[in-house]
Amino acid sequence: MTQPLRRAHRRIIIVLALVLPAAFVAGIAARRPPAPANPGIHWSALERP
Amino acid sequence: MSVQYQAVGWNRQKRIYDFVLAGSVLTYLALFVGVGSIIHPNATAETLLIRGFGTAALLLLHVILCIGPLCRLDRRFLPLLYNRRHLGVTMFMLGLAHGTFGIVQFHAFGNLNPLVSLFVSNPRYGSLADFPFQSLGFVALLILFLMASTSHDFWLHNLSAPTWKRLHMLVYVAYALLITHVTLGVLQSETSPALVIILGAGLATVLSLHLAAAFPEKRLDEARSAAGADGFVEVCAVDQIPENRAVVVSLSGERVAVFRYDGNVSAISNVCRHQNGPLGEGRIIDGCVTCPWHGYQYLPGTGASPPPFTEKVPTYRTQVIDGKVLIHPCAHAPGTPIEPARIDQAERIQA
Repeated sequence: MTQPLRRAHRRIIIVLALVLPAAFVAGIAARRPPAPANPGIHWSALERP
Repeated sequence: MSVQYQAVGWNRQKRIYDFVLAGSVLTYLALFVGVGSIIHPNATAETLLIRGFGTAALLLLHVILCIGPLCRLDRRFLPLLYNRRHLGVTMFMLGLAHGTFGIVQFHAFGNLNPLVSLFVSNPRYGSLADFPFQSLGFVALLILFLMASTSHDFWLHNLSAPTWKRLHMLVYVAYALLITHVTLGVLQSETSPALVIILGAGLATVLSLHLAAAFPEKRLDEARSAAGADGFVEVCAVDQIPENRAVVVSLSGERVAVFRYDGNVSAISNVCRHQNGPLGEGRIIDGCVTCPWHGYQYLPGTGASPPPFTEKVPTYRTQVIDGKVLIHPCAHAPGTPIEPARIDQAERIQA
């Protein structure tokens, strides 16, 4: 009765264990260095009046 | 157990559980916003709330996903499982607050419908670094809504436990979407290694706990025993079954819970009618097999719940010979009375 569910659960976990770490590492590797902040500009100066 | 539907069948344990849950969530949000406003004085209250709700929901999702395997590995975690659905609904509400604030903040002030804007304002679906990660969170939120809205015994009963459990396995799809949502979203702009380490540790914990819990289950499912001429299968020694507890065996692809109590041995299906909980991991309380998940009870000799309850599970014929327990693998209809095997029967046969 519950054996098919357990089998499905095992397969889902195995797929996640393969795919998710790879997606996580790829996402982190794709990061770009942030643009350096311009110390002469404060965000409030960009607000519209 | 209840004979009729109630919004929530409150009891003392549920009240304590929910009180601790609500207190923890509120404390977390207050700390997140309070500390966040000190560390990032330029951040707006909306931004802090969006991040506070989002991180609280993600943290709670990790806790929820760890509870199941932890209970498999150690019974002391079972009290956490008792009210796990309230954790799930709370997590959805936090995610909904995060999503609603986010859509209002980033998509509600343009010419497009906010929900359309969510999917089309950033069309760079082919780029990892610029991926429109908000769409992933939105789909995950839809799945979590489906789960939260069916987190009630009404739906469990009307959909049947196996269908309900299949539906709720979608949590793994939602989890994968949310990990990707965070990785391609906030982790692209927030470059602190601490955030990467925290999310990576959470992911590793969830996956390793599930793998550690799944493989012993696989071994039990694949265990095979040879049947004798009369069809009975030797499953264990009587001494291996603690008093008022059970040993779980796999027979013909079905799990059977073999209970020992008051000098008797009875075998019933291991699958609780309520939520398919593992009856063999429960114990006999007041003469009834008690499911470790939510306390549903069955008489070991009949597989039927005591009146006025109507749940029934299949029963199996048992024998005790030379200190060994034998079970016939053919299940009897749920609720069929089966005479328990007497443990002293072994002594009679030897004599």
